[in-house]
Amino acid sequence: MIDMQLLISGVIFGLSMGSIFFLMTIGLSLCFGLMRIISLDQLLYYSIGAYITYSVSLALGDIWLGVLGGVIVGGLAALAVERVVFRRIYERDITFTMIISFGILIGGVGVIKYFWGLVPRPVPVPITAQIDILGTEIPVYRLIVIVIALLVYVGIWLFLNRTIIGKAIRAGIEDIEHVEGLGINVYRLFTITFVIAGGLSGLAGGLHAPLIMVDPNMGLEVLAFAFMVVIIGGLGSIKGTLISAFLVGQVISIGSLIYAPLAQMAPFAIMLLILLVKPTGLYGSPLLKR
Amino acid sequence: MNVLRWWWGLLLAFALLALLRVFLPLPFANEIIIFSIYVIGCNFLLGRVGFISFGQPAYLAVGAYGAAFYLYYFGTNAYVGILIGIAAGIIVSLAVGPLFVRLRSDYFALVNLALAVIIYYLMQKVLADITHGDNGLWFLTNLSSTPVLDISRPDQFFIFAFLVGFAVWAFYKYIDDSIFGACCLATKINEDKLRFLGYSSFNIRLLAFVIANTTTALAGAMYAVYLGFVSPEITSPARVADPVVVTILGGVGSLYGPIVGSIAYTGMKDLLSKTFGNWELIIGFLLVFIMLAGEKGIWGTLEPLLKKAFLRARATGDAADRGGSSR
Repeated sequence: MIDMQLLISGVIFGLSMGSIFFLMTIGLSLCFGLMRIISLDQLLYYSIGAYITYSVSLALGDIWLGVLGGVIVGGLAALAVERVVFRRIYERDITFTMIISFGILIGGVGVIKYFWGLVPRPVPVPITAQIDILGTEIPVYRLIVIVIALLVYVGIWLFLNRTIIGKAIRAGIEDIEHVEGLGINVYRLFTITFVIAGGLSGLAGGLHAPLIMVDPNMGLEVLAFAFMVVIIGGLGSIKGTLISAFLVGQVISIGSLIYAPLAQMAPFAIMLLILLVKPTGLYGSPLLKR
Repeated sequence: MNVLRWWWGLLLAFALLALLRVFLPLPFANEIIIFSIYVIGCNFLLGRVGFISFGQPAYLAVGAYGAAFYLYYFGTNAYVGILIGIAAGIIVSLAVGPLFVRLRSDYFALVNLALAVIIYYLMQKVLADITHGDNGLWFLTNLSSTPVLDISRPDQFFIFAFLVGFAVWAFYKYIDDSIFGACCLATKINEDKLRFLGYSSFNIRLLAFVIANTTTALAGAMYAVYLGFVSPEITSPARVADPVVVTILGGVGSLYGPIVGSIAYTGMKDLLSKTFGNWELIIGFLLVFIMLAGEKGIWGTLEPLLKKAFLRARATGDAADRGGSSR
């Protein structure tokens, strides 16, 4: 069968990839749950995060500062887009928001090309050390990525369950009219959620940047995988997103060990299977009212 | 008289299209017609059934590879290749249709996109022995000249594409007027009421899905024959949104929107990528702008204006006639 060492490094690789997917799609999922929009432009903030990481790390020499910058700029970009575009279209149907956010994504790719050009940019890995797990050398950076994703998950869980704003957001996911009836300004909640989502997408981009080449189309390249993760997990569910992100990461990584061409296709096959059994994904909400 | 009224819009549109051929270079005209046929399937799904399909390239690739396999490995007749492409389109959309049309429109979009990506990797990597991977299949020299209309030559191909396009549009106009077209619209607007009337929304959606995707497969087969070359590039993840963009650009749900959209899109792409270079910037923000400005698109905005101008012209014409007779 498969070599044990290969398997361990494959699992770690899959987990780190899943972490990136999770950070990237949690915004999509949150936005869908609360505002009933499909915000493909999260992938733009992902690309922006990666590019900011590249530029800041080039200027200041510290990649973690770059990642921080990516989070901030991603959040700010999300704030701007929310103010200018999404504020006007919250009432519209899902298809409509999907097309608009896709337009923003494509336009944003154009903006990135304008500022950074077409050439792919390399970002050095901040921690080159390796750690020994069961006789296998594992890059520490990948472990850190996994830890950060888990911390983000716990942080979001605490935010949604322990703070007033988080509780209001959760209530909004259940029934938005009641929240409005309580005198809470739901549009402020929307803005907060959108900015958090954008920041997390920026974080995903920043953390992914050292593992790949940063190029303008990176958002479009992961688009299909982001879609897949949210479909398998079920739109609007945070737990589902975490599980499906790790599942997809594992399938890609282990799949490529078994038969390389299969790696890219297997997740899609699994997604089709899951949809056959459960048309709303693993943890998706049943048919929505709006 | 009624028959003429039914046809005149179509005839006018295609007369204008034929006129374009005089001013535009041949590859451009061919591209426009094939692209319009490609887009009308997406336009029909989005405008009439309410399904947004980010996976149209999947069916384009099915049609293209259907034709390409035949022309590369088995035969030389381009017409047969196109027929096989259409058949492949029908088979694939019948196979995946029952699964897909049960889904909500947002999931539908995502799953369709996934299918496009599956086919991309299938053609690029898994079936690389047959499809030659990224190099693609080249079979331009395999094409034998066909009797009557020799579609292996670009200028005669234009006539063929033109006729096919005309037939496709007449077909979609017929659907629009039929009860089936009304049912499609009803699944979009109020599904419960449609079921109450005794129609099966599943069957209607499935039929609409198969029709739309077969049209797209036809466009794929025509691409294959016209270019004499097919590669996985036609369904690459970066290009999945082309038909949606053109549909919005032209005007969702309007019959001539795809033609207008294709002309605008292909023209802009050509001009902008030569002069400005940053193509995505323009198209992305244009898309956002059109959606925010009332999602009518170019044709959707022009059509009422043209109609009004036409009616006014006729009204003044009538008035002049009456004035003339009374005197």
